[in-house]
Amino acid sequence: MIPLSLPIEAEMAAPYVTRLREGAIDHPHDASLIDHDATGVTFAGARGLFALDGMTPSELDGDVLLVDPLRGRADRLIRADSAHNTLLVTERCDQLCVMCSQPPRKTHVDRFALLTQACLLAPPNLVIGITGGEPTLYKDELFALVEQVLTARPDLEFHILTNAQHFDGGDISRLRQPVYRNVTWGIPLYASNAALHDEIVGKPGAFDRLGTSLAHLIHAGARVELRTVLLRTNHTQLPELARYVGARLRFVHAWSIMQLEKIGFARRRWNELRVDHAGNFSTVATALDRALLDDLPVRLFNFPLCTVPEQYRALAMPSISDWKRKYVSPCDGCREREGCSGFFEWHPDDEALASAHPL
Amino acid sequence: MTGRRFLIPSLLAVGFHNQDPLQAALIDAATKRDPGLGTGTLFKLFHQDHLVTLAQHRSHSSHSSHSSHRSSYGGGHSSHSSHTSHRSSTGGYDAPSYTPLYSPTTTPTPTPAPPPRRSPSSAPPQPLVSPDGRATPPPAAPQTLSGRSKRFAAVVRRVQLALRAQDLYKGAIDGVVGPQLRRALRQFQTARNLEITGTITPQTLDALMVSSD
Repeated sequence: MIPLSLPIEAEMAAPYVTRLREGAIDHPHDASLIDHDATGVTFAGARGLFALDGMTPSELDGDVLLVDPLRGRADRLIRADSAHNTLLVTERCDQLCVMCSQPPRKTHVDRFALLTQACLLAPPNLVIGITGGEPTLYKDELFALVEQVLTARPDLEFHILTNAQHFDGGDISRLRQPVYRNVTWGIPLYASNAALHDEIVGKPGAFDRLGTSLAHLIHAGARVELRTVLLRTNHTQLPELARYVGARLRFVHAWSIMQLEKIGFARRRWNELRVDHAGNFSTVATALDRALLDDLPVRLFNFPLCTVPEQYRALAMPSISDWKRKYVSPCDGCREREGCSGFFEWHPDDEALASAHPL
Repeated sequence: MTGRRFLIPSLLAVGFHNQDPLQAALIDAATKRDPGLGTGTLFKLFHQDHLVTLAQHRSHSSHSSHSSHRSSYGGGHSSHSSHTSHRSSTGGYDAPSYTPLYSPTTTPTPTPAPPPRRSPSSAPPQPLVSPDGRATPPPAAPQTLSGRSKRFAAVVRRVQLALRAQDLYKGAIDGVVGPQLRRALRQFQTARNLEITGTITPQTLDALMVSSD
């Protein structure tokens, strides 16, 4: 795995954001390379000197760090050489999904000011993911971040994961602003059956409230990506959901059908939740056929190419973030490896080995 | 009052250096020895310094760490006097600065015998213990084991030396960013028309002509 949090030795200061520069610096928040050896690197910026272990200058050039001297840690908020950068804006959530990969906490640490600075320091044309918890629990702060960053940096895009329980009519005019053209809302919808969706997200009424939010988002002309995680409970109903999306939610920019990630709550519920699509693809295939017939922009996330029948492989995206992606030994001889999602770092090796074969 | 001069060293010798100064004073008052060899104050101050410095190391659980420190500090009279004169020139120390800032990171591993804080190469002429030395977080020694701590301290030492050469910094060359160094940095930045941060900025390093190579 690529390390996202590094131990650091730094001059004492409140937590701050800084961008690392191997060469010349051109921004007040930049830190300049001072020294490096086999053990790591030393930088200096406006808040002073800091040293990190286990990284080279070129690996870190352009990275945006959140330095916390008191904790002795630096979080790599934005990695300049990666297409997979995600900022966590809160750990609070008002849903409790059975397979949640990032189980929520009750406390919230407000880092919006620091995260805004970090986004402003991002390399050009980056898509920055925003996740939680539930980001729209802090809707005003979130909107302010988006507007401030995209006004200054129209080259950037945001992809924001939200349960869409908090959009209301008052948001429509705000979301119609031009900057929101660069925002995609990733919204989970697990079933067309309200009771089943509510059961999966652990919140009665969630399906109906989601429908209301989607209506507001349509009015605002928002870009929406629907996300459906494959589970034992909703697997057989996937074709129904495809029909529902094709009939009711045609405005969406993408519908992503996603394989389960064995982390968070799903770690212990793996056998109870996981559907092995490689052994039984027919339900997914039916849903895909239906979606394609309706000309829906449907995609498969976290489906290794070799586990997908050939006629559907074009729909399988290399979706797993670089820092948590792994391949297994059969992948070594595979010609499709570059365009393949691979497996999650925490995917059981025996299952991965059993399903993977070189293409 | 002058009696403490002998009592405290003798307590140290017996291994009572963990004693609270108040307790030492109490014993002193009770024993009432009066050797009557004048000149006491600076000596007394020095020994009190020592007492406090060692007391910091109570965080090390093993007793041997004390003795190793003691032996590394036991540098004879010349260093003592340089220390005391130094102390009189800077006038006290900023005690509050050291504890709250560093304590969370300082908890790691009391190692049996932490190496001396300064590398042998750096400066026997420097005072071995200084008021700034107290601002040093106690476990600085164990931390020097990691590459990042070494690299960090190496740059800080170069900055300390460069500022000392300009007569702006009078503290120890110990690789630790303490209040004296921050003050010196601010003075230097003010004099050179740099942004006044009190931190080791790239511009400050350039102006000090401190580079790694």
